[in-house]
Amino acid sequence: MKIIDGKAFSQTLREKIKDHVTIIKKGANITPGLAVVLVGEDPASQVYVKNKGIQTKNAGMNSFEHRLEEDVSEKVLLNLIQKLNLDPNVHGILCQLPLPKHLNENLVINSIDPNKDVDGFHISNVGLLNTGQKSMVPCTPLGCLMLLREYVGNLSGKKATVIGRSNIVGKPMFNLLLRENCTVTVVHSKTKNIEEICKSSDILVAAVGRPKFVKGDWVKPGAVIIDVGINRVSITENGTEKSKLVGDVDFEDAKEKAMAITPVPGGVGPMTIACLLANTLVACCRTHNLAEPQELVL
Amino acid sequence: MLTPLLENRFIDGRKVKDRILHHVSEYVKVHTNNAMIGKLVSVTIGDTPEVDVYIRNQKKAAEKVGIRFEICNWNSTASQEEVKRKLQSLNDDQEVLGVIIQRPIPKHINIRTLQSAIHPLKDIEGMNPASIGNIVYSDIAMAPCTAAASVELLKETGLTMKGLEVVMIGHSEIVGKPAAFLMMAEGATVTVCHHMTRSVAMHSRRADAVVVAVGKPNFLGPEMIKPGAAVIDIGINQVLDADGNTKIVGDCDTSAVKEVAGWVTPVPGGVGPVTVAMLMKNAISAHQKQLKAGWLTG
Repeated sequence: MKIIDGKAFSQTLREKIKDHVTIIKKGANITPGLAVVLVGEDPASQVYVKNKGIQTKNAGMNSFEHRLEEDVSEKVLLNLIQKLNLDPNVHGILCQLPLPKHLNENLVINSIDPNKDVDGFHISNVGLLNTGQKSMVPCTPLGCLMLLREYVGNLSGKKATVIGRSNIVGKPMFNLLLRENCTVTVVHSKTKNIEEICKSSDILVAAVGRPKFVKGDWVKPGAVIIDVGINRVSITENGTEKSKLVGDVDFEDAKEKAMAITPVPGGVGPMTIACLLANTLVACCRTHNLAEPQELVL
Repeated sequence: MLTPLLENRFIDGRKVKDRILHHVSEYVKVHTNNAMIGKLVSVTIGDTPEVDVYIRNQKKAAEKVGIRFEICNWNSTASQEEVKRKLQSLNDDQEVLGVIIQRPIPKHINIRTLQSAIHPLKDIEGMNPASIGNIVYSDIAMAPCTAAASVELLKETGLTMKGLEVVMIGHSEIVGKPAAFLMMAEGATVTVCHHMTRSVAMHSRRADAVVVAVGKPNFLGPEMIKPGAAVIDIGINQVLDADGNTKIVGDCDTSAVKEVAGWVTPVPGGVGPVTVAMLMKNAISAHQKQLKAGWLTG
């Protein structure tokens, strides 16, 4: 059994990105730029945005942060996005989700120029991806696919099950696996026999947001498991209560059966930000008609 | 599980079509007086006698519900840019409710460019990437017609979509994938099989419903389905019968499958007629969306 080291893999990926950024800086005198918009004071979002900024700069790209008050009006936010859409130094725009309730998330996402939509959430990108056309691919599923290609190799004909049908992970993952010619099932809250379906799968991608939802005996021997979940749970260790991050898969039990499995943390998580950087670089290359780094696109 | 009597096992597409068209014509009657219902424009480019029968059927359906239907034929020598400009003028024309691009089109024109050129609110075929994106995000009002028709027929059985195990055979961009997303949005557990699937029968035999769109006559035999399952046949294949005459058959061995299945859609007379009806249903969805967007006031 192998533990899939997302941290190491993402490190390699970030180095490739950095090398390519250096090339286009020298060759075309262009620096890719990522703008991140954060509304409000959500502590988790603040941590994500800070990390994204640091990693963007580490990759040699420009990072632009825009922080807006919790009660900002939709109009002000849309104006900012419009400004970023038109800004030639900005190649990627990311609006940190979730947004406060008074803002229409769909409207905001769909107001981002699809070419700069490095999250790949704009409906045009979703449709383009679905019809096999050039698009921006959502970061987390893209990261999962890269790990699968690395650890499984050719995915064609494999039976894959995606657990969870969210717009940001489950559905795009389903789509990416179909593009690889996997036979894909999406299971969700309404599914009657998840266990049996999982048991027949060569590949499991879990994205339900429920700690240890996937049990060890749901795993087919030799399967490859990608655990997208990040759940904070409290555990008692030596009489004291501690909080700990766990995935959607019961890691200890599942690893006994799996051929390879991602840990939480250190699996899919680090891949997501690396893919965000990859998307920003790709968006920049497309805008300026530069060669796209082949291993960073589908 | 519900199982109908043997003689009721064919799902009559024409009956479903009539019901939908009746519903559409009621809508048209109600709205004709207070909010203009524009015309549908069918566009062929060059000489395409093979689509005449489709256009005739669409025109007939439009007449039946009281929507004007205009047939345009554009010159095959028109450049892609010219065609795009013409489509854009249809977008801008308040008289035009929806646009249909009949395929095939000349080789020098990229169909995807044209599909993207149609405004999503006039895209009654559901082919614009943004329309597909909406489907993926479970906003299923204007879905590609064939995919929508297959789901409509599946619902006609009375089976509950929530938790229904469906196997979709075929992962094409215009039928298989959108149909999978439509059924997923309705709460079904969907597995998509295709030419790289190791054993389609292994999957299809455990499904409550099988939807087939592979373009191969007699592909789905009775041994591939669970007794009592619903079979929706999307295939349209031209074959020669024993006397050397051409006839139209689906992807399933209908007469044999009928003995095992709970329901099966005939070909012709199943998905085909409902597809035309869904086009009209999409037309009134377009009208509703255009009203909501404030296009049709004043």
